[in-house]
Amino acid sequence: MDARTSREPQELYAMLRTHAPALRKEGTGVIVSRRTDVLDQVLRNPEIFSSGLGAAELGNIRPLIPLQIDPPEHRKFRMLLDPLFAPKQVRELEESVAELVSELIDSFSGTDEIDFVQQFSLPFPSQVFLTMMGLPLADLPALLDMKDGIIRPHVKLGTGVRHPDADAYREATGRTIYAYFDDVLDHRGPGGNNLLSAFLEAEMDGIRLTRNDILDICFLFIIAGLDTVSASLDCFFRYLAEHPDRRAEIVADPAIIPDVVEELLRWETPVMTVSRIATRATEVAGCPIAAGEQVLPLLGSANTDEDGFSDAGSVQWDRTKNSHHAFGVGIHRCLGSHLARLELRVALRVWHARLPDYRIKPGVDFVHTAGVRSLLSFPMVLGASA
Amino acid sequence: VKVTTDVEKCQGHGRCYDLAPTVFDADEQGRVMLLVAGDISDDLRGEARNAVDNCPEHALALTD
Repeated sequence: MDARTSREPQELYAMLRTHAPALRKEGTGVIVSRRTDVLDQVLRNPEIFSSGLGAAELGNIRPLIPLQIDPPEHRKFRMLLDPLFAPKQVRELEESVAELVSELIDSFSGTDEIDFVQQFSLPFPSQVFLTMMGLPLADLPALLDMKDGIIRPHVKLGTGVRHPDADAYREATGRTIYAYFDDVLDHRGPGGNNLLSAFLEAEMDGIRLTRNDILDICFLFIIAGLDTVSASLDCFFRYLAEHPDRRAEIVADPAIIPDVVEELLRWETPVMTVSRIATRATEVAGCPIAAGEQVLPLLGSANTDEDGFSDAGSVQWDRTKNSHHAFGVGIHRCLGSHLARLELRVALRVWHARLPDYRIKPGVDFVHTAGVRSLLSFPMVLGASA
Repeated sequence: VKVTTDVEKCQGHGRCYDLAPTVFDADEQGRVMLLVAGDISDDLRGEARNAVDNCPEHALALTD
């Protein structure tokens, strides 16, 4: 994907919807782009489009919980996990999350140029995660290595996406993740004020989580908890740096921030696609799909389809009907969505109160990674332009 | 006008109780709970409409 398309994939999405609503890409799967197909055909039919092991290559040897679990077992895990990530629980974190944002901004105050990724978008959600899990801050570099080793080993190694070395590196990283959390759990019991203790204590109708269940949850959290909010911040702050007039609206009226977050989640869709695997021969948008074939419902395309949103191609903070699907739909709705919203709202609020002016360093051209739209680096100039 | 909720469709996105906190609340799982019984008052109708329009699962409705 070229740099411009990675920053503004909406045009590509529109082209796909018009000309190839189900596009078979060799070695990848069938990309589905029309809103009704994404939502009603694929995501709301888990018995045909399974999330099970094989739907994605993530270096794990057992299905990730709850992401790669199909019904009816899926329900059990969500019953145990949803209460830990419900709005009430998440709201209690607001003050400490705001403090963390302030501290990160303190750490580069006085400088006029930063790498937004290294100094803000990467450490912020990762440190929230470490605190929630009760893990030492010193483990952050190791956990970031684990995350990158799974999601983009080819970038770490400088090889092609499908290079055998990249696959081997991902698998080795997977073993490291299991071993790391196995060791942590050896020294952890119930009663602590952290998620790992909560996993050990969780019980509903006599059902409890096993050691392997907890490992499979932790593995998922490394991937989903560390990368997606970083990618969202990269997308949001890139958009706001490119559109100073829109940024000024936030600075002038911070009360609109919750709406800004929803509209940028829709427009940018930081997680552009999820992945499913067909359990039997079927068809989407006229395209025959074989049993076992991978299917990629493009959330970003569903979110910018005129079929679901009036004037879908324009960014409007005051959009009254915005039932976007940036966190997915159906039974696999992002478990961490309430936490993500809190982190994004607080980050925008605290940042713009302190740093209303910023821009992309002139001459810099960057490419968002495909899938989860992170930036590897985001050179940012702070302060009003001269 | 009444608000109806379909708890089978609800997946706990939380848009309703965020946008219309006097009409909806979250249960322990983060799923929808209706706070008003029967007809909703005129002054809450806009808020309720907003929540209905923003539910990603079409789990809410306003009915006469």
